[in-house]
Order: sequence, then structure tokens, then C-alpha cells
Amino acid sequence: MAWRGETIDRRGFLKAAGIGFTAALSPSSLMALERADAVYASGFRAPDGSFGIATVSERGEIIDRVALPARAHGMAYSLATGRAVAFARRPGTFAMIFDPSRQAEPIVITSPESRHFYGHGHFSPDGRWLYASENDFDGNRGMIGIYDAREKFRRIGEFDAHGIGTHDMTVSDDGNLLIIANGGIETHPDFGRTKLNLDHMEPSLVLLDAKTGALVQRHRLPSSLKQLSTRHLDIADAGRIWFACQWEGARNTLPPLAGWFQKGEDLSFVSLPEETTVRLGNYVGAIAVNRREGLVGLTSPVGGAAVTLDARTGAVVKEETVRDAAGVGAAAHGIAVSSYEGRFNETRSKVAWDQHIVRLGNLSR
Amino acid sequence: MRKIFVAGLVSLLPTGAFAQEADTAPSIDLPEAEVSKVMTAAVDGFIRPGYDAFQASAEKMAGAMKTLCEAPSRASYEAARTAFRNGIVSWAHIEVMRVGPIIEQNRFERILFYPDRKSTGLKQVQSILSKADETATDPATLGTKSVAMQGFGALEYVLAGTGSEELLKEKNSFRCRYGAAVAGNIANVAKEISDIWDAPDGIQKAWEQPGADNPDFRNGGEAITALLGILVHGAEAVRDQRIETFYKGADKAKFPKQGLFWRSENTWVSIKGNLEGLSSLLDKSGMIALLEEKDRPVVAATQAKLKSMIELTGKITPDLEKAVEDAGERQKLDTLLADGKDVIAKLNDGYGGAIGLSSGFSFADGD
Repeated sequence: MAWRGETIDRRGFLKAAGIGFTAALSPSSLMALERADAVYASGFRAPDGSFGIATVSERGEIIDRVALPARAHGMAYSLATGRAVAFARRPGTFAMIFDPSRQAEPIVITSPESRHFYGHGHFSPDGRWLYASENDFDGNRGMIGIYDAREKFRRIGEFDAHGIGTHDMTVSDDGNLLIIANGGIETHPDFGRTKLNLDHMEPSLVLLDAKTGALVQRHRLPSSLKQLSTRHLDIADAGRIWFACQWEGARNTLPPLAGWFQKGEDLSFVSLPEETTVRLGNYVGAIAVNRREGLVGLTSPVGGAAVTLDARTGAVVKEETVRDAAGVGAAAHGIAVSSYEGRFNETRSKVAWDQHIVRLGNLSR
Repeated sequence: MRKIFVAGLVSLLPTGAFAQEADTAPSIDLPEAEVSKVMTAAVDGFIRPGYDAFQASAEKMAGAMKTLCEAPSRASYEAARTAFRNGIVSWAHIEVMRVGPIIEQNRFERILFYPDRKSTGLKQVQSILSKADETATDPATLGTKSVAMQGFGALEYVLAGTGSEELLKEKNSFRCRYGAAVAGNIANVAKEISDIWDAPDGIQKAWEQPGADNPDFRNGGEAITALLGILVHGAEAVRDQRIETFYKGADKAKFPKQGLFWRSENTWVSIKGNLEGLSSLLDKSGMIALLEEKDRPVVAATQAKLKSMIELTGKITPDLEKAVEDAGERQKLDTLLADGKDVIAKLNDGYGGAIGLSSGFSFADGD
């Protein structure tokens, strides 16, 4: 299985990557890989304005780069197949499936007519299916596109996401549930990234049957939280689903910014200390769970902060000031954090890291 | 750790004084007094005068339509078209403001429903005209109907669409009274938005004085980021929504009848107004004062490019079908697209980078 929050060790990655990959690396990249305990991938913008995906060591050193035609956003990785996918940032229309070890040619897929990608997606545990969050913009409804890995990721169908402004989505460990964060914000490619309904948002968190698309569970937010966009997800132990939010309402309020739920349960919001909510600027841009250590990482580029929570209780374990904090991912110890300024853990590179990090493998639990 | 369950216990608390005590690391760290000065200049020098001017112009437009209905003639018809054109100009100046109360309660769409790739507005307006729906001749009741039949697009069809010659033939024709109601509705929305911005303790105060207990901007960095966002998104809208809607390049499909105001040949009037609005906001806000001396040339360079684009809009034929067919005209369109991209880059990376947005404005908006 391949989930955010799980990592591959260096030996495993090298074995999977093969000789062809390491032979193509520059000496500094090879040194970085040899020292690496794990690898991540993240989108970036280079100083010349071009975009790509880089594989990165635990220390944050860039190991390899793959060029992209435009800016990417979320990514996913399948341990079963060794493939990763990078989705175009909304309202983009491409996704690139690539092999981080460069053993296979990348496959670029495009969203169908009257759909665009929302920037996130996930593989089924066996790697057979790729699910993508998409916008049916004329119908103003979120959809989950289904792509078949055995047919070069041909789009074979779609499910209604039962909400608008669908953003992040993931898959339960057993592959039976699609877990969807509907941010509740209406957008249309005719209006670029403009948010069209901030005064009447409809955020929700949804569980679908992965085989049939049937609605299993839907949580709408109470009227006092209608402007709380539920946007990002990750899965902890025992099926607990963590979600992170962005507040579109008045800046001088303190909304809850993260919480959890699982099948058959109500939503539970974490009551963060007030100063932590302030530090996060009412905005969490990324979330990741480190299952082995029972931690949840949150980052906020708005507040310039990275916060680590106890995955069981929601208690704040660590707070760190990180200017332009971008992505989070499970680290060998703790939570990896990147920034727009080029910081990735202890390394600063001459790139602007994008909003999300994915681990290329699993972390032994 | 206290958990708050959604079923009734979640509450939103005012931040209070502790908001200033938290150790935040916003991307932009600018002197608050200087930021407040810039925001005040933007509000008092551009936003409020812009909405006030739009209100005045919309009221003149409504008056001209009323005159046309009561005394149809070639002169009153031309006066109504001139007032319509002036209304487009004043709206285009302030239209670049795609934030705040204008995007709430469908105010923006009630003034202008565009893009409209499926011609929803055209179909609805034609339906109203064919049915002579009297409830559409009162601005108050019209304001409760579909936004696609309430704004500039509808009035354009009344004045310049098929059958517009009826306006000269019959006193108080249904078509004219509907057009007058549309103009009246635009004036109503314009007054509403102007009043909101003129209220001394409302949004103008929030914009001028960022702070911990401010509902819009908790610090100067947030405020300046939003102000820069108006410019970046405004420039993107001109390029992506107003030009590329009908022309993306010589080798691409062309859709001249998708251009805004193609029917009345006011496309370039509107685009010129948008560009003038961007230039005016950049100038009147005094945003340059927030830059170090070494970075200030980016503002002059942006203004020079905007000026060049404004001049070029006056040299392109208002007939969009000719504009996309003629090689010489297409060259001008290509120049506008390239210059538009340059303006966006200058604002996004140039100004944005200079005030501390490490990767430019657009990169740093999370999502």
C-alpha cells in the first residue's frame, strides 16, 4: 500500500530505482541519495520560472528533477507499482504519472471536456486505479475521475463527490472508501482561480463506496462554520481521518482549523490553543500524518508556521516558525516541512517548493 | 486537550489582544504606518472615487434611457448609447476590484454577467423581449430575477442587438422600458456598493487600518498582499478573460462573438478602461513607497507597459471579426497578449518579490 505518511528506506528506494537511475545522477545527487534515509517528492518552481517535480532526501537535498509543462499541486505515490502522480494545480487539465526511478516513460493524462483537475488524487492500494478530484464546472459539482493504470490511465468513469469545490481526496487502507474534502468554494475556469461564492459556501467531508460510488457518509458543517473550507486530508491509525481547513470568513475570529472523523462517527474538531490558531493565520495549507510516531503535521504559509499535533489527542506537541511554510510529510522522526523559500527540512535549495510533499514509499511502523 | 464537537458546541471567538502576541512569520514585513498610508490612499484615492463615479455614471445612463423611452429620436438614442458607453468606462475603471462587497450577494454578476459561453444572458433577454414580461420593467423586481438579464450585457442587447431600431419608433416601448429598468438596476447596485465603501466605520476603516482585531486584514502584509492581488488578478482578467476569450493567437480558434461588448463595438473601450483602472490604482495608492529605492523602477516599467497597452487599444478596430481576421490587426492583438503577460510578471514577481513574497504573488497563495 502507498500512503502519505509512510516512507521507503534508502536501500529499498535504490533497489526499486535500479542501476539506470543512479548512473544518471550527478555526483552531488548521488551523494545525497547515498546519505538519504528516505525520499520525498514535491513540486517546485525553479528560479527561471519553470516548474517541475523533484525527488528529495530526508535531509531535503534534491536528488532528481522531472520537468512539468505547468505548475503542479498535489501528488500521490503507489508502493504497489512504484508510480507517482502529480496533478496540475486548479484549474489545470493535466496530470503526469511518472516513475521516480525513471524506469518507465511518464504518462500525461488530461481531464475530459468540461472538467478540470482540482489538484489532488490518490491510487487504490493495489495501484490499479487512480482517483482524481475534478470539477464539473458547468454543473458546479465536484467529481472523482477514475483512471485505469492497466490501460495507460484511461479514464473509465467518475463518481459524484457530493459537494462543490472538491479538493483533496484519499483512499482508505482497505481500498473500500474514497474520502473526499469538498472545500465548498465554487470556481469556474472562465474566472481563473476566483472564488465565486465566499458568502454562501458549502463545505463538506464525504465518504464514498470505492466500488460503486454510493454515498456512505456526508458531514456538512454547521452554519457558523459555513466559511470553513475543508480542504486537506490524511489517514492515521485505525481508520481515523484527519482533515485540515482554511477559514474564508472574518480575519478577527478564531475558527477550528483541524479535526478528525471516521466511518460512522461525527466530526471532531481539535480545539487548538488560541495563540496556535493565530499563528496558523486561520489557514492550514497542508496536513500529513506520521503513523509510526502518532503525529500530525500542519503548515500555514499565511501565518508562517508548522505545528505538530498528537494524532491520538490533538494536543500540540511542537510549534515552529517557518516563513512561507509549504508542504508537510512524515519524516523518519517527526514531520518534514518545506517552504516557498526553498527550505526542505535542514536544506535550503534554489527552488520554491510547492504546497505539498509526498513520501515515495512506506515507513515501517 | 478539549475537543469541540460540531453538534452545536463550536464557536467562533474574537481574537482580542493575544493576536499580536503570537510569534507569526508572515511573508511580508513592512512598516505598519507606511502600509496604512498606502491602503488609505488606495481607498480614498481610487476605490471610493471609483465607485462614486460609477454610481454617477450609472444614474446618467438610467436618465438617458428614461429620456429615450419618453421621447424616442435619433438624438435621444445616440445620447443613450453614449451614456451606455460612459457607463462601461466608469465600470471598467473600478471593475478591477474583484474583492470585498462587490463579489458578495452577486453584485458583480448583477452589473456584468460575463463570460457567458452558453449565451445564457442572450437567451434570457430575448425571452423577456418576446414575452414582454412587465415585471422586468421595474428595477426593483428585475433585481430579483436572473443575474444574466440585469446588467450591461442585457442593456447592450437592448441598445445594439437585433430589433434595437424599435427604440426609435415607439414611445415607451416595452424594449425601452426594460432597458431603462436594466440601467436603473445597475444604478441601484452602484449606489449600494458606493454606500458600503463610504460608510466611515465599515470596510474603508478595515482596509485603512489593518490590525489584530480587523475583520479583513490582521496585519499590513495581508493588506498589501490583497492590494497587489487586485492588480495581478485585474491584469490576468484583461488578458485571460477579455482578450483570450476571443483570441488566443493566430493559429488558434477565434471567437469574435465571444468578446465582451462586441455587439456595440465597445470591447476596446472596456479593456482600455480596465487598463486605466490598473494604472490608476498603482499610481494613486502610492505603492511604490513601500519599495526600496533599488526596486522602485519596476513600478515605472509597469506603468510604461500599461500606457503602451492603453494606446494600442485605441488603434485596433472595434469590429472584432475584422480584428481577428486581418493580419495587421492580429499583430496588435498578439502584442497586447505579450504585454499583458509582461505586466503580470512585473507585478507578480517584480513588485511581489520586492516586498518580500519569496516566489512572487501568485505562487504564494497556498490552495
